[in-house]
Amino acid sequence: MDLYFWVFAAIAVLAGLFTIAAKDALPSAMGLLTVFIALASLYLHLHAPLLAIFQVAIYAGAILILIVFVVMLLMAPGERLTAIQANVSYRGFGALLGLCLIGLVAVGTKGVSDIVSMKGVPEGFGNPSIFGDLFFRDFLLHFEVVSVLLLVALIGGIYLCKKKL
Amino acid sequence: MDDWLIAIIKVVGIWVWVLLIAVVMTWVERRGAGLIQDRPGPNRAGPWGLFQPLADGIKLFTKEEIIPTKARKILYILGPLLFSLPAFSAYAVVPFGDKIILGGKEIILQVSDVNIGFLFILAIGSMAVYGVILGGWGSTNKYSILGGLRSTAQMVSYEVPLGLALLAIVFVYGTFSLRDISLAQQGTFLGFLPNWGIFKQPLGFILFIVAAYAEANRVPFDLPEAESEIVSGYHTEYGSMRLGLYLFGEYVNLVTISGVIVALYFGSWHMPYIDLGAYLGPISWGIVSFCIFFLKVSFFLWMFVWVRWTLPRFRYDQVMGLGWKGLIPLALFNIFITALFIQLTV
Repeated sequence: MDLYFWVFAAIAVLAGLFTIAAKDALPSAMGLLTVFIALASLYLHLHAPLLAIFQVAIYAGAILILIVFVVMLLMAPGERLTAIQANVSYRGFGALLGLCLIGLVAVGTKGVSDIVSMKGVPEGFGNPSIFGDLFFRDFLLHFEVVSVLLLVALIGGIYLCKKKL
Repeated sequence: MDDWLIAIIKVVGIWVWVLLIAVVMTWVERRGAGLIQDRPGPNRAGPWGLFQPLADGIKLFTKEEIIPTKARKILYILGPLLFSLPAFSAYAVVPFGDKIILGGKEIILQVSDVNIGFLFILAIGSMAVYGVILGGWGSTNKYSILGGLRSTAQMVSYEVPLGLALLAIVFVYGTFSLRDISLAQQGTFLGFLPNWGIFKQPLGFILFIVAAYAEANRVPFDLPEAESEIVSGYHTEYGSMRLGLYLFGEYVNLVTISGVIVALYFGSWHMPYIDLGAYLGPISWGIVSFCIFFLKVSFFLWMFVWVRWTLPRFRYDQVMGLGWKGLIPLALFNIFITALFIQLTV
C-alpha cells in the first residue's frame, strides 16, 4: 500500500501509545501533540489541506495548549501520574469508552467502501470555499446543533465551577 | 528538473535572507536602544559595531553547554529546537516580491503559493509556544515554569483576536492566499488613497499588530520573560547556543510577522500611485518589487525596536484584560462592520 500512509499512521499509533503510557504529564501531552501532527499529515495526503491546518491550529494550537496550561498550573515537575494510571476503575472506564469509540467508528465506516473505490478527487475538493458551502449551506442545521451543544457544555462548565450563581 | 532547481534556490535563498535580516536585527535592536536611550550602543566591533552579531554568535557557539542537574534532559534539549523550527519554516507562504521572468519562465517570488495561505502561518505560529512550555517545564525552575505558564495563557488569548482580524481580511479579499491578497492591493481606493489593506481595515490593522506583538512576546507583552519579575522566564536556565536559538528564533519571528503585515495591510510590493511593473522590464521589476517589499518590512522591524524601547511592560492582569475584554469584542465588532459593508456594497 501507500508508504506515506503507513509511516504517519505508525507515528500516530506509537505516539498515542506513548500518550497513555508516559509517567509524566507533559511528555504525555507532547505525545498527543505528535498524534495531532501525524493526523494532520495524513489529511494533507488525502488532499484536505484545510482540514490539516485546522487540525494543527485548533487541536494542537489551542485545545492542547489549554490542557498543558492546566497541567502546568496543577502539577509540579517530577510529579508522577502512576497513581492515576494504577487506578483500576479509571482503567476499566477508559477501556469501556475506547470500545464504544471503536464501535462508533465501525458503524461510521460502514459506507466507506464507496469512498475508497472513488477515482481521483472532485474539482475544488478541500478548498476553503467548498468547506464554507458545506458548513453554512448543505449542513447548516447540523453545524448549528453542534454549536448549541458546545454552548451547553460551556454553560455546564461554568455552572460546575461557580459555587454561587 | 528546472522546477526543482528553482524551488530549491527559492527555499534556500529566502531562508538565508531571513536569517541574515534576523542577524542584522540583533544589531539594530541594540543600536536602536542606544539611540532611544541617548547612548552609543555597541560600537567597538567593526564600523558602527556592525560585527557585534558575529562576535555574539562566536561567543554563544563556543561557550560550554551546561544542562542543570535537576533539569529534565530531553525536554530541556527539545525546548529551543521546537521554538526555532516553526520560526524558521513560517516564512514559506509569505511572498517576497511579485514575479520574475527568466528565459520565458515565470517565477513567482514566493516559496509556495498555497490556497490556505496565512492559516498556515497561524498554525505554525501556534506551534512555537510548545518550545517555550518545554523550556520552562524542562528547566525545573519556578521562574521558568511561571514564564511557560504565562506564555501559554497569553498565546491562547491573543490568537483569538489575531484570527478574527485575519477573518475580516478574508471577507474583504475573498481569499486566503497571500499572493492573491497582494495582487488585489494595486491601484487606488476611493480615488485618492493607495489600495492598501490598512485603508480598508484600519481597525483590523490595529488589532492585528497588537495581537502580533503579543504573539511574538515583545514588549509591552514580554510577560513570559519579564526580567524584573521572573528573571528571564522560560530561558533562565539556558546558556550557550540553546539560549541563542531562543533569542534568534524571536528575531526570525519578527521578520515573518513584518512580512505578513506588509503583505496584508501595506500593499506588499506595490508602490503607492505608480505601477512600476508597467515601466520596468520583467527582471528589473522582480528585483525592484523585492526591494520595495523589504523596505516596507524594514520599517515594521524598526517599529518593533521602537516600541520595545518606548513602552513599559503591562501588568499580567492588564494583558489578559486587554486581550479578552478589549481586543476580542473590538475584533467581533470589526467583523460585523466589515460584513455589513460587504453586504451593502457587493
